[in-house]
Amino acid sequence: MTCPYLDYRRSDEDHEFDHDRPYCTVAEEFVSPMKADICNDRHEFDHTSDCETYPDEQASEEKESGSEAIRADASE
Amino acid sequence: MSYEAYLNDRNVILTVAPTGGVHGKDKNQNLPEQPEEIAEQVAACEELGASICHLHARDEHGENDAGRIQEVNDAVRERCDDIVIQNTTGGQSTYDARVQGIRTDPAPDMASLDMGPFNRGQHIITEHTRNNIDQLAAEMRKKGIKPELECFNNGHINEVYRLIERDALEEPYYFNLVFGHGTFTPPTPENVLNLVSNLPESSEFNLLAVGRHQLPLTTLSMILGGHVRVGMEDNLYYRKSEPVQSNAQLVDRTARIADLLEADLATPAETRERLGIE
Ligand code: SF4
Repeated sequence: MTCPYLDYRRSDEDHEFDHDRPYCTVAEEFVSPMKADICNDRHEFDHTSDCETYPDEQASEEKESGSEAIRADASE
Repeated sequence: MSYEAYLNDRNVILTVAPTGGVHGKDKNQNLPEQPEEIAEQVAACEELGASICHLHARDEHGENDAGRIQEVNDAVRERCDDIVIQNTTGGQSTYDARVQGIRTDPAPDMASLDMGPFNRGQHIITEHTRNNIDQLAAEMRKKGIKPELECFNNGHINEVYRLIERDALEEPYYFNLVFGHGTFTPPTPENVLNLVSNLPESSEFNLLAVGRHQLPLTTLSMILGGHVRVGMEDNLYYRKSEPVQSNAQLVDRTARIADLLEADLATPAETRERLGIE
């Protein structure tokens, strides 16, 4: 799943581009093509665990709700 | 190739790597990403003496997209005279994406062949298993594509010896020795000498060094009888705090250094002959 903090923008204060580019709304900057793979969860990179910019508290909340879902599955 | 060879046969192969897969225009707006932009810059570099171009493809957002490598090849062929086309099979993406580099029509003259994994950022390890390397080497050989053997650190040279023992490569073996941060070989002149002294007979070597190491270590390579790769894939600055204006700016400086060292730059035809490319 694409990171909820990923946006595609054409400009910020410093840059203006011809096409929309990947932009991290947490770091408030465009992300590199290499990093965009993580933002988009490509090639088994997961934004919650593999991104150092992803907010920690959000990641633990998601993990928590993920494990609750797993527990619910297991009890079915 | 050796210092002796430099004295007697001063023919340097200059590769330009205009784009790569790491940086985007947000880091340097002059970095070419789209097929036409790449082709335009490669053509300017060919005029200045580059005989090989090392190519990556991007999508319209600037993200890596191996599926567009055909478009990049077509644009370069359209704009350039005779430059040797070398497609990447490297980077962080899956094998299925990377193999696109050797499935273009026509096939490229050359392709990079990473000799093993390396780290990128905090969490990325490039996927270069021995099995993948063997498969890529076999397909390249079948199609007559010359592999550029990318050694990101000393241990990767062992992997080339492994391929030679399996008779998977044809002479001359064309190495690309990579120097830089992280899991690359630490960028020092001593390490350049060390790696070069470990190469097998019948080798030619190219040297790539990232960032501010590009200028001194590629110059050293020329003196040692090696070849050079420059370009914005590896270096976004011309000098400290001064962003590169174009790939041609880096190629031009390298061509001038070669001239000062009384070395000739190999033409694309000479490069093909020297590396045994049909
Ligand atoms: S850099 Fe990290 S936090 Fe920002 S959009 Fe990408 S994955 Fe999300």
